Amino acid sequence: MEFAGKSQKILSAREMGLVACTRCTRAWPIGTPVCQRCGHKMLSRDFGSMQRVWAFWVMGLLCYIPANAYPMLKTRTLFQVDESTIVGGAVELAHHGAYGIAFIILLASVAIPLAKFWAIAFLAVSVKRPNAEAQRSRHVMYEIVEYIGRWSMIDIFVVAILSSLVQLKTLATINPGPASMFFALSVIFTMLSAQAFDSRLIWDTNASDGDPDQHV
Amino acid sequence: MGIPINMSDTPPEVKVKSARKLFLSGASIVWIIPILALVAALGVAISSYNSRGPVIYVEFDKGAGIKAGETELRYRDVTVGRVEEVGFTTGLGKVVATIRVDKNVGPFIDASASFWIVQPQVSAQGITGLGTVLSGVYIEGSWNDEIGEFAERFVGSDAPPLIRAGQSGLQIAFRTVGNGTLTDDAPILYRGIEVGRIGKAAIAPRGNFAIVEALIYEEHRNLINSSTRFWDTSGFSLSFGPGGAEVDFESIATLIGGGITFDTFVSGGDRVQDGTVFDIFPTKEDARSAVFNATDVEPLMLNVIFDDNVSGLAVGATVELSGLNIGEVDTLSGIVDFDQFGDSRVRLNATLAIQPARLGLPGDVTAESAFAFLQDRVVNGLRARLASASLLTGGLKVELVVVDNAPTARLVPAGDNFPVMPTTKNETSDAAATVEGVFSRINNLPIEELLNSAIGLMNSLQAFVGSDELQQTPRDVRTLINEVTGLVSSESVQNIPVSLNATLSRVETLVATLEEEQMAARLLAAVDSVSEAADSLTTSTEGVPELIEEMKTVAANASELELQQLVDELTALTRSADQVIGTPDAVALPGSLKDALDELNYTLRELREGGAVENVNRTLASARNAADNIAVSAKDLPQIVTRLTSVFTQAERTIEGYNKGDEISRTAQETMRDIQKAADALASLARTIERNPNSLLLGR
Repeated sequence: MEFAGKSQKILSAREMGLVACTRCTRAWPIGTPVCQRCGHKMLSRDFGSMQRVWAFWVMGLLCYIPANAYPMLKTRTLFQVDESTIVGGAVELAHHGAYGIAFIILLASVAIPLAKFWAIAFLAVSVKRPNAEAQRSRHVMYEIVEYIGRWSMIDIFVVAILSSLVQLKTLATINPGPASMFFALSVIFTMLSAQAFDSRLIWDTNASDGDPDQHV
Repeated sequence: MGIPINMSDTPPEVKVKSARKLFLSGASIVWIIPILALVAALGVAISSYNSRGPVIYVEFDKGAGIKAGETELRYRDVTVGRVEEVGFTTGLGKVVATIRVDKNVGPFIDASASFWIVQPQVSAQGITGLGTVLSGVYIEGSWNDEIGEFAERFVGSDAPPLIRAGQSGLQIAFRTVGNGTLTDDAPILYRGIEVGRIGKAAIAPRGNFAIVEALIYEEHRNLINSSTRFWDTSGFSLSFGPGGAEVDFESIATLIGGGITFDTFVSGGDRVQDGTVFDIFPTKEDARSAVFNATDVEPLMLNVIFDDNVSGLAVGATVELSGLNIGEVDTLSGIVDFDQFGDSRVRLNATLAIQPARLGLPGDVTAESAFAFLQDRVVNGLRARLASASLLTGGLKVELVVVDNAPTARLVPAGDNFPVMPTTKNETSDAAATVEGVFSRINNLPIEELLNSAIGLMNSLQAFVGSDELQQTPRDVRTLINEVTGLVSSESVQNIPVSLNATLSRVETLVATLEEEQMAARLLAAVDSVSEAADSLTTSTEGVPELIEEMKTVAANASELELQQLVDELTALTRSADQVIGTPDAVALPGSLKDALDELNYTLRELREGGAVENVNRTLASARNAADNIAVSAKDLPQIVTRLTSVFTQAERTIEGYNKGDEISRTAQETMRDIQKAADALASLARTIERNPNSLLLGR
């Protein structure tokens, strides 16, 4: 990823009458139906992607609700069963003085997923309202969202590791709660949503009012 | 419509505007995923909502470790629900556990359900609920296996119920007798095997016994019949005998935790129903003897409220009706009831247990029949009172006695309370107080006065008896008798009968021929005078019977043990006797008597010396003549006879008057009367003869 740092006008491939294969990156003249090299279907702009973005986005949000409502971990010790949700667990940690860990959990499990939802939604909406000034920053945002998405799975890793390590029969056991599955699904769907987003749409500033319907 | 960016030189393609697509035709297939997810979520939500069981609310006195979301509801040790919320009733009176019950179990929870908290318990009967030490308490529910009308609110207990719903067995109750005790949750043992269990003992509303539910397990119910007797085996008994000391207890468990065992001493008991109440006897011996002694009839309980709070009445004191032991005092208590009695004094409230069988009633012997009997008797004046049972110990008993003219009272059933038996004045007295009272009464008697009066009487009597005149009287009497003897033995007198005989024969003829009315009239007058004399005699002796009457009254009074009055009467009597004897007349009596005798003597002497006998003879001769005349007026004879009869009647009545006296006094009376009569007759005879011996017969 390379940024020129110059504020000159960036010319998009579409404006140059080219279309790049999204699989093998070979550029072809616009209108080429199939990549001559790898046989991938060629589309200059995938307007249908917005539907997929929103569909996965909604799914991700749907899954995020039970992920927060249900307990993430079932901790069964000798005398008691402890079930805590993500936020509840973080608050409990904070009560015990582990502010750092609580902050990390809140950041990784609450702040970042919420930020992702916001970012994807923002990008998807902003495509409809082209704004030439923020094209670069929007693209950066997209890059971050896509990059950071997989790291949200760190919660699930923690749960998976704890569950497999702490299985001491009656003494103490930790099992994943229903929220862990929903959280994983939520992460997956947000990643899918981010992937479905056609970042090239960011660069169509004026073109959209030219001919949004024009795709071959 | 923008300008298409067209890199080719070909003319712009013909713009073909496709028809507006339908709303969903452009929709991506990917939308199926969230829609499926939504449907699935909705489906799960609906199904989980549908599978939710009902909510019940169970009230407990204490939370005892119930936690919302954790504490389970178990049925036969299987979790069938969970506490969702723990709160309080309005006013924080009780803890309410809101329990979500499994749907398939919910319908069985009806009014028969009971709930209790299972928690670790260490008691004499053992340790229970140990598992809950680690797992925390849970709520155990019990209900029968029939679907009933759903109930929502229940009252839970802290301890498991004795009889769980759906559990079979013989449900009976035990009641203590006397001062027996009960232990909660004690086992019922038979030959050392637990065949049942008792629950939580409760005190009866009136506090006179303890009562407890008990369950005999189904497989052992045949061991119990109506002649079974139960007794308490808790604790141990220590006895010393010729064989040495003996410690006896049933088992270590019952030694600590109490227990009840039973036996059927006699055969022929009936099958018992649920709800039968058995007495629990303190020992086996009591139980055994109860089989043979006690009637199976429920005793009739009566309350008696005594105004006097007398010490000495104890529980177990006898209740007597006409001296017959019909029951005993069951409980004793004080009672203060301003509303009922109008003051705040403490009254003695005794509860009597009356054995209906001992009343000997005909027909069914029940408490009701005994009550009806007593009701009837109370209307007729039967009252309760305290009476001394023993002078030595000062113990009291309760007596039921019939009181004459008792104020109206009724024995009415008092609903929840025992009926109250009306009372009457108590017959009790402290032994010491009684003796003291006797002494003080004796002390107060006017002994001094009595003695003084008696001394006075004695003095008067002595003076009377010792008077010269009285001493002289016997001598005069002797002289008189001598004179009379002399007179009678004289020859002339000897002739009198002969003459008299002749005279009487003449009189017979005289009567027949008596013609002159005057003669008869005179005779009548003479008879009248005789009658008068008799009358006067009666009058003169009238006082004597009165005296005797008085003495009799005194004697009667004395026999009535009115000591005080007796002494008083005696004093009065002696005083009046004293007065009588002290009168001048009485003093003069011996003198008069002597004079009379003197006169008699003189008259007789004159008679003998003055030829009176000759006169008599002559008189008789004249009488013979007179008789002839008398015969003329014989028609008047019946009248004379009538007069004579009346005279005799009067005399008889007079004598009867004397008969009223006692035997001793009558003898004295007769003697005195004879003496007086003789004296009078002799005096008048002598006087008449002296004056004119012929006058009587000749009518002049």
